[in-house]
Amino acid sequence: MKAFLLILVAVIIVALVITGLMFGSVYNGLVSKEEGVSGAWAQVENVYQRRADLVPNLVETVKGYAAHEKETLQSVIDARSRIGKIDTSSKIISSPDMLAKFQDAQTQLSSAIGRLLVVVERYPDLKASQNFLALQNQLEGTENRITVERRRFNEAAQDYNAFRRQFPNYVVANMAGFRNKAYFQADQDARTVPQVKF
Amino acid sequence: MPRIFKVITLSLLVVAVFASRLFAFDIPPRADGYVTDRAGLLSPSARVELEAKLRTFDQQTSTQIAVAIFPSLEGGSLEDISMRIAETWKPGQKDRDNGVLLLVFRDDRKIRIEVGYGLEGVLTDVVSGQIIRQEIAPCFRRGNYASGVEAGVDAIMLAVRGEFKAKKSSGDGRQLAALVFIILLIVLPPLLRKGSGGDDRRGRRRGGFFYTGTGYRSGGSRGGFGGFSGGSFGGGGASGGW
Repeated sequence: MKAFLLILVAVIIVALVITGLMFGSVYNGLVSKEEGVSGAWAQVENVYQRRADLVPNLVETVKGYAAHEKETLQSVIDARSRIGKIDTSSKIISSPDMLAKFQDAQTQLSSAIGRLLVVVERYPDLKASQNFLALQNQLEGTENRITVERRRFNEAAQDYNAFRRQFPNYVVANMAGFRNKAYFQADQDARTVPQVKF
Repeated sequence: MPRIFKVITLSLLVVAVFASRLFAFDIPPRADGYVTDRAGLLSPSARVELEAKLRTFDQQTSTQIAVAIFPSLEGGSLEDISMRIAETWKPGQKDRDNGVLLLVFRDDRKIRIEVGYGLEGVLTDVVSGQIIRQEIAPCFRRGNYASGVEAGVDAIMLAVRGEFKAKKSSGDGRQLAALVFIILLIVLPPLLRKGSGGDDRRGRRRGGFFYTGTGYRSGGSRGGFGGFSGGSFGGGGASGGW
């Protein structure tokens, strides 16, 4: 009887140790994948910030040639300032609503810039100026970076979400409070983002 | 009669399948060398010369510039295909991301310079755009592809030179190297038993290309090109055309 109890205790201890180890490795996997998502998000923020930083320069350059296009210029400025007010803390990547709001504001800036670039078409001097050509390169490059980093973010989020939802990972994830990550949606507006090309 | 229909439908289907396969741009899994000319735009001698120049530049600065010329985008988007090629070939050192990809699509008349993360500060979008507009496109418009590519590569080299140095010690680092050598002479012997980590590293510093024997040049298109060194790209650079 005593021997039986001893074996039972040993088995329980071994089972506990194995469970603990498994829990630990799943937990570590979650942590490192979540870090991957956060890193990708930081890059996304970075490139969007880059675009926001270009806006004042763009507005100034266009103003120099087309000062009376006030309305279009103002809509770019407004869209830019709305972005500044958005909460981009780390919570955003776990909340589809917040991310959608962020994306929406960015899309508005995209279309405001797009409208401005259409206006620019009417000013050949502006279009041909070195300053504007340079800005155009920067805008193109930034849009391209945004596409790239958004895709990488979605890939990282997908990788994390797939891992999180597997058995037994989701047990650990739920216990330790790891939440699903949100994705960027390929919305219709974003698809028709102005091609900054002539 | 129905049989003929069947045959016709079947052959149409086969054609459709092949056509769809032809339509998508196939990313070559690896570069042919520093220069990958799948459109035959460069003469063999120009290609060899450019290849040697880019290899020397890699050895001197560890910056890897890849030149790739294709016949057509096959209906794909320039930026998308360019990024996929950059992500597949990975020019640039892994820890420095100092790679550049110069892409030309003959039939679409499109040019793109894709810039690795580590060079975005010096080879900015603006500079890349200027190189395309002022160096490459004018030559291409005259039909002089070799000199256009060369002018582009020269301008890229000019822009990125000085940003990175090859990790092996160069002339002006000689004193430091001597000092390090002396210190190593004192410190190393007791550590030597621990293994060959130092040698490994020096091997990697050469810049990432491995040669099989001596046949690199004479060995033809594949020969000894071991691929680029794992640089990453974030979409920087510029697009243009001629």
